[in-house]
Amino acid sequence: MSTFGTATPGNPNPNNSIEVAQPPSDSVSSLSFSPKANYLVATSWDNQVRCWEIMRSGNAVGSTPKASISHDHPVLCSAWKDDGTTVFSGGCDKQAKMWPLLSGGQPMTVAMHDAPIKELAWIPEMNLLVTGSWDKTMKYWDTRQPNAVHTQVLPDRCYALTVRYPLMVVGTADRSLVVFNLQNPQTEFKRITSPLKYQTRCVAAFPDQQGFLVGSIEGRVGVHHLDDSQQSKNFTFKCHRDGTEIYSVNSLNFHPVHHTFATAGSDGAFNFWDKDSKQRLKAMSRCSQPIPCSAFNNDGSIFAYSVCYDWSKGAENHNPASAKNYIFLHLPQESEVKGKPRVGTSGRK
Amino acid sequence: MPIKKELCKNYQRGSCQYGQRCKFLHVTQQQPKSNIFGGGAQSGSYGQQQKSNPYGFGVQNSSQSKGSTDYGSKPNNQFKPFENKWTRFSPIPNTGAPSARQSENQTQATNHKCTDPESCRRIVVEDFENERPLWKLTCYGHLKNAPCDIIGDISYEELRAAAYDDAKRGLSLQSIVERERNLLSSKLVEFENLCKPHAVAPSSTLPNQKPFSGTSSNAFSSFGQLGSSLNMGPPAPLNNGFGQLNSSAPSRQISSAFGTKNMPSENAGFSSNGALRESNPFSPSPSSAQFLRTTNNQSPILSMGLDYTSNANAPAQVAMGVQLATNMQKEDISGDVSIWSKNKWNPGEVPEEAPPDAFVDAV
Repeated sequence: MSTFGTATPGNPNPNNSIEVAQPPSDSVSSLSFSPKANYLVATSWDNQVRCWEIMRSGNAVGSTPKASISHDHPVLCSAWKDDGTTVFSGGCDKQAKMWPLLSGGQPMTVAMHDAPIKELAWIPEMNLLVTGSWDKTMKYWDTRQPNAVHTQVLPDRCYALTVRYPLMVVGTADRSLVVFNLQNPQTEFKRITSPLKYQTRCVAAFPDQQGFLVGSIEGRVGVHHLDDSQQSKNFTFKCHRDGTEIYSVNSLNFHPVHHTFATAGSDGAFNFWDKDSKQRLKAMSRCSQPIPCSAFNNDGSIFAYSVCYDWSKGAENHNPASAKNYIFLHLPQESEVKGKPRVGTSGRK
Repeated sequence: MPIKKELCKNYQRGSCQYGQRCKFLHVTQQQPKSNIFGGGAQSGSYGQQQKSNPYGFGVQNSSQSKGSTDYGSKPNNQFKPFENKWTRFSPIPNTGAPSARQSENQTQATNHKCTDPESCRRIVVEDFENERPLWKLTCYGHLKNAPCDIIGDISYEELRAAAYDDAKRGLSLQSIVERERNLLSSKLVEFENLCKPHAVAPSSTLPNQKPFSGTSSNAFSSFGQLGSSLNMGPPAPLNNGFGQLNSSAPSRQISSAFGTKNMPSENAGFSSNGALRESNPFSPSPSSAQFLRTTNNQSPILSMGLDYTSNANAPAQVAMGVQLATNMQKEDISGDVSIWSKNKWNPGEVPEEAPPDAFVDAV
């Protein structure tokens, strides 16, 4: 594997994004904004879950570290409760913790698996936490009880999860995608093989629950509609490629207002796209390290992304002594995230 | 009309931006497909449907779409199984009839692809030349929406978790890197094998016969029924089959063909059991089997994948798709146990001792 960025140091922040203060000391594995306020939570491979308050006045944005908790092992995923008071986090310690941080409470363990928990999500309509793990199961938890409400066996290890009630899509290893109707959570609604040819990396459900996006390691995103009558609208597109180098799409996030979406990849770039007009709205400059995760805040005015090593080139490119881990905040302009009408004829290339 | 008789490489891969104007031959392997649309006119339209976008998202191939809309509400690329379904036809007027045909097409696509192993191999070879992602520890399927030809996915986080576990246990970075390199090289060998002519034939029958692919294709036509059938299908038997699968015979066949190549890749996926990882991943079965014993949840599940393919008929399929079945669940199996999976023994090969228990209840 060629080493990344050894030729020139490279600019970690070519987009002039705002840097979040006191970032984690190891790579960031997930980012999530509170649904109610501008609180950002980041989980990291340094076993910590950190929370910052993001203050914004006009174009000036500041970040203040607020609180943090520890796990015993790297933390892989995080989710806020819908009331913005509590954060759930899960990771390699095979547990998920519930942290009522707004009230200053202590975290408590609310979920357990037999293998690391890769993804979790809070489902307000069911008042349940769902966790997906590498032990090939997905479990639903009522946080007041120690045992899972339901255990769902998956075809393989859980790699990606997205929930937009009542739609839930789970991406697993070996290209399985399992769709659930949460009104009937014990039954798989549909199980399909990914429209992409390689490992599934991330999924994101459409805000209107008509389908979902799937991103893979091959620099490609698939747009998939659930309804048979809309299968003609399915397509895939290439992204995050640089010449012959094909990077993975690490993160897919829909803009909460405009319903366009952002992709972030191992090439260190993030882009904004409109699936309805099939256009790329904006391509941002490449950062010097991969972007493993990203998130929009509740109104889409802030896009947070992390620039740090995602292991896409193995252990040999991991240098903890000199590794820099950043979390940046980008303020999307309307032109970048607002959907555009379909472009007219532009002639052949 | 295409001028030259050569097959268009882009079209074979799924989509060609030149469409009708392409000077190479746009022929689909699916000759029977044209009947869906009732008549020979359809075969000509195949070329129109290719809304490929080699330059990526955002390029508006409008001239293509103009020409194609003349054909009316054409359900576009559904019938092209390995096509990049990049199309401009979203505003399709009536989704009633066409959609039924589309789903049929897609059903057919996922059902009887790979009738021509040579074209499939070509797809694979082209994919590997043009579309090799940087991350190599991945599964691969040469047809979208069809099951994998190569399984044994390892994600970034799994590899990293394994490395962190190893480091915690005191392993040096060098040995961690070594382990990862071994995983990588074994996976690369798998990919290379897929490109070879003899290797593709089994996998080409894979989508046809795998029960899983059958169900997945049905998913497109009627998800209502399928949901329930899927639910009762794979998960239940697999859950019960854990014990049996450990000693299923087909896995033994694989072990002879591919040795322990995939052991490391599976090992790495389970970070909780790094203890045995420093043993050379390519070491003989016993140590790897020992490792797998400790991962009781996971090792049977690896065989689960095996179960899918073993339901199909050809043993060779199993070889192709489920190399992970080298999981030797029993520690006491030592030496070359492939002899037990052979159907026919040549003179001089007949073993003198009784077969290990693993083979006794097989088939």
